[in-house]
Amino acid sequence: MDGTLLFQSLVLGVLLGGLYAILAAGLTLYFGVMRVVMIAHAAFVILAAYLAWYFHRETGLDPLFSMVFTVPLFFGIGVLIQRVLITRLRPATLTMMSVLLTFAVALLIEGLLGLAWSGTQRRVQLSYSGSNFEFFGARIAVVKLIAFGLAAVSLALLFLLLKKTRFGLALRATIQHREAAQLVGIRTDRVAGVGFGIGLATAAIGGTALSLDATIYPSLHWSWIGPLMAIIVVGGLGSIPGTAIAALVLGIGQSLLQVELGTTWAQTLFYIALFVTLMLRPQGFFGGRLAQRF
Amino acid sequence: MPNASDTEERTVEGTAGRSAGGFTPPGWVRNATLVVGAALVLLFPELVPNAYVLSAGVIVACYACTATAWSFMGGFTGYVSLGHAAFFGLGAYGTGLLIRDLSLQPFLAWLLAGLIVLVVTVPVGIAALRVRGASFVIVSISFVLILLLVFQAWEDFTGGANGLNVPRPFADLYRPDHHRIFYYLFVALLAVMLLTWWVIDRSRFGAGLKAVREDEDKAEALGVPTRDYKLAAYLISATFTALAGGLYALWFGDLDPIFQFSILLGAYMVLMALLGGARNLFGPLVGAVVVGTALEYFKLEFGDTQLHLVTTAALLGIVVLFMPDGIIPAAGALLRRLGPRQASIREVTAEELLARNERRAAAGGAGAPEGASRDAPDGASGGAGEPDSESEGGR
Repeated sequence: MDGTLLFQSLVLGVLLGGLYAILAAGLTLYFGVMRVVMIAHAAFVILAAYLAWYFHRETGLDPLFSMVFTVPLFFGIGVLIQRVLITRLRPATLTMMSVLLTFAVALLIEGLLGLAWSGTQRRVQLSYSGSNFEFFGARIAVVKLIAFGLAAVSLALLFLLLKKTRFGLALRATIQHREAAQLVGIRTDRVAGVGFGIGLATAAIGGTALSLDATIYPSLHWSWIGPLMAIIVVGGLGSIPGTAIAALVLGIGQSLLQVELGTTWAQTLFYIALFVTLMLRPQGFFGGRLAQRF
Repeated sequence: MPNASDTEERTVEGTAGRSAGGFTPPGWVRNATLVVGAALVLLFPELVPNAYVLSAGVIVACYACTATAWSFMGGFTGYVSLGHAAFFGLGAYGTGLLIRDLSLQPFLAWLLAGLIVLVVTVPVGIAALRVRGASFVIVSISFVLILLLVFQAWEDFTGGANGLNVPRPFADLYRPDHHRIFYYLFVALLAVMLLTWWVIDRSRFGAGLKAVREDEDKAEALGVPTRDYKLAAYLISATFTALAGGLYALWFGDLDPIFQFSILLGAYMVLMALLGGARNLFGPLVGAVVVGTALEYFKLEFGDTQLHLVTTAALLGIVVLFMPDGIIPAAGALLRRLGPRQASIREVTAEELLARNERRAAAGGAGAPEGASRDAPDGASGGAGEPDSESEGGR
């Protein structure tokens, strides 16, 4: 592998890692607030990508504008999922039953997507789809950069929201210790609902970013949920900065391995990282002690 | 949930032995149902009109095996594995590859494949059980996804998307006879599983597993070797699933990674076990008959459309939300509600009352022992506390 190729895959890895980071951030957020492994997250990502594609096909506008509708819509759906579905489950079996419930939601979305738009592969064609630019000798597709930009901005906003606002304080308190948060007067169920909404809103953003650059089909979400779950374990369940770091590292790793091994084998990196993490450091490499017990 | 209107009389023996919903019909009803059910299962190949229905029966029997195998983990410990298709696929491919590459006798290859899966599951199980629930879920799903990737990509070895052809063990038989033999093989495997389930259910090991399900912290504090027990249950569950997969490979003869390592297959197992009641001996079997028949019917009527995804999803959601304990306990509760009610005043003899009160006093007035969890044998905590107050009122 010569220098240019190495640099090229490095840059692509960073761009990919950014997308992974925003997608996995939502997943880790649900886990933080509710101890729920949300299997349907990737299905919602694909749903958002389909909505962006449909929006583009019907209106001819840039798919990015679809976020005006999808982000609030997904936020609402997220709040509803938490308030209507998740809270119905018995606390004792919440972790396990919520997995099944969100799994059912994922299957439902996959099935409905197939019914609505058939299993045909879809792709958004834009005027700038094929354009590249040079960056120190590396060729970078404009769409990948836009996707990364979108991910970086929303991740930064999420981080600011968590660190600088009163709501963020309440959310972090809920993640750290639910009962204690309740004792100091935080309405944790409401916070958890909004946390779910924010998580799903990131799925809308991620899905739109994905639609720019990827061919989509209903069952695509299975090939995303695995890597995303591996990322949140490696990063430490419930830790958003940890998740972002793990996403970048694994994204770069995948991109570098892809050159040598091809796409399929490069994907196994995530699963190997998952197993190694659980064996060596089950609480994750960057997370706090929260994950230890789950 | 134990409450004041819950007037079922429960014996201590009944609640300690059986964990499930609590409804226990009289002994002769159970035995008669058992005999009739077993007779129906055994006579099924004689009763069917054509070979197609018989082959559907083989598939349902296979589903019953996988669902029962799943419930060794999911039912006893409450750990939900969505990735049991991994073991099914490994068992199937293991059998096929051993026959192809080592030209082993088919049923020897089948047993050996089961053994290989047992060995492979040890590290996977250790990783999956390192931390509680969440990591188990993540590893179980990831394991299927990674195996799907590997078996598709490694074409020289597994045949990849072209599939793997497994030679039939009984080459000179006609199709209906072939189906019939495999039907009985699956039923025999199922019988072995049910027997194992029954033995574990009554053992110390089984009690430990149920303790993990009800409250893992308390179980650990009481000295249950939770990790080893969970791992053992996982191994048993995985091996039985693999054996079902191997038998399927020998019967069906054609393997494709997409179908063997399918997330959907794992979801079916969960759905069947939960629908029937993962904590009942025959729950997964009942669930498999219901769901399996429905799936076959769907395939016949609507083909392989997206509709079956939607239906499966809706059914799974409904089961999880409204009857997480399954049909059998739900039906039991319904029967109890519709059936003859017992008198609201319990008949407790003076000696029994005295003995209980003394036991209470000895326990230091700590009140009725709180059940470890809500689905714990609810009669033990709720039922025992209640009659006292009633009889006190009467005094």
